[in-house]
Amino acid sequence: MKKILIASHGHLASGIKSSLQILTGMTDEITTIDAYVDEHDYVADIKQYVEEIGNDPAIIFTDLFGGSVNQKVMLEVAGHDNIFVVSGTNLPIVLSVLLDEQELTKSHLEELIGMSQVQLVEVEPNDDDLSDDSFLS
Amino acid sequence: MIVQLRVDDRLIHGQVALVWTKELDTPGIVVANDNAASNEMVQMTLKMATPTGKKLLIRSVDDAITVFNNPKGKGMRMFALTNCVKDALKIAQNVEDIEGINVANVGRFADKSEGEPIQVGSTLMLSPSELDALKELDKLDVPVFQQVVPSNAKVSITNLLKNK
Repeated sequence: MKKILIASHGHLASGIKSSLQILTGMTDEITTIDAYVDEHDYVADIKQYVEEIGNDPAIIFTDLFGGSVNQKVMLEVAGHDNIFVVSGTNLPIVLSVLLDEQELTKSHLEELIGMSQVQLVEVEPNDDDLSDDSFLS
Repeated sequence: MIVQLRVDDRLIHGQVALVWTKELDTPGIVVANDNAASNEMVQMTLKMATPTGKKLLIRSVDDAITVFNNPKGKGMRMFALTNCVKDALKIAQNVEDIEGINVANVGRFADKSEGEPIQVGSTLMLSPSELDALKELDKLDVPVFQQVVPSNAKVSITNLLKNK
């Protein structure tokens, strides 16, 4: 299974992991960094994560494009072609990557991102109900 | 045929839509629930939760039993959902072809009119009449278990019911 790191300002990262655990129970390969919740230097954690990954495929999710967490991650993964970095992370994209079974390529990752956007939800009852026969056919 | 009959008071939701439909490889999802069958808003939210490419049928419990017993459905892999044990018991007593019954999440939204619910498992809090229905269900000749998500081990309901 692919390795995933989620890094955020505050507890978003561990919060996303908590949601994923409830939804899927499949969070063994997910590491999190909650930055700035204490005095801890999380850059060392990023360094260590990147080192331990070696040449395995991995993906790092950060919360905010251009934010300091994202900047620190970019500095550490420079030159590692096996690690993708995604910013603006939301629950659907991490879930899509987690449940996806295809090889993670740049184009496939872009496809998953396209399907994981925030969306406006409107109330519109529709009547495309199936009959028993069309359901069973 | 019903590959799994799941009792889940959230009916179709994240765990079901994302993980279970994939795990069970069931093209058809049947929600057997009297309230959903007569409430357009509930139907809308269930349709929103249904994964792309899966067929959804929302029926009252009685009408769902008719669907499950329709010979046309013999070869179709169906994932059936009820939101309470009583409805699942009624289906299990009237439908032959059920591979397993998963009593997954029950009681969080239950009304407390029968008094405080009884904790049977971590995600099972049953009213006295639901507990009776579960005891009946466990007597039938179908595997009855609790498994919230596929990565959890199956827990036999017989074990959970000991001393209840």
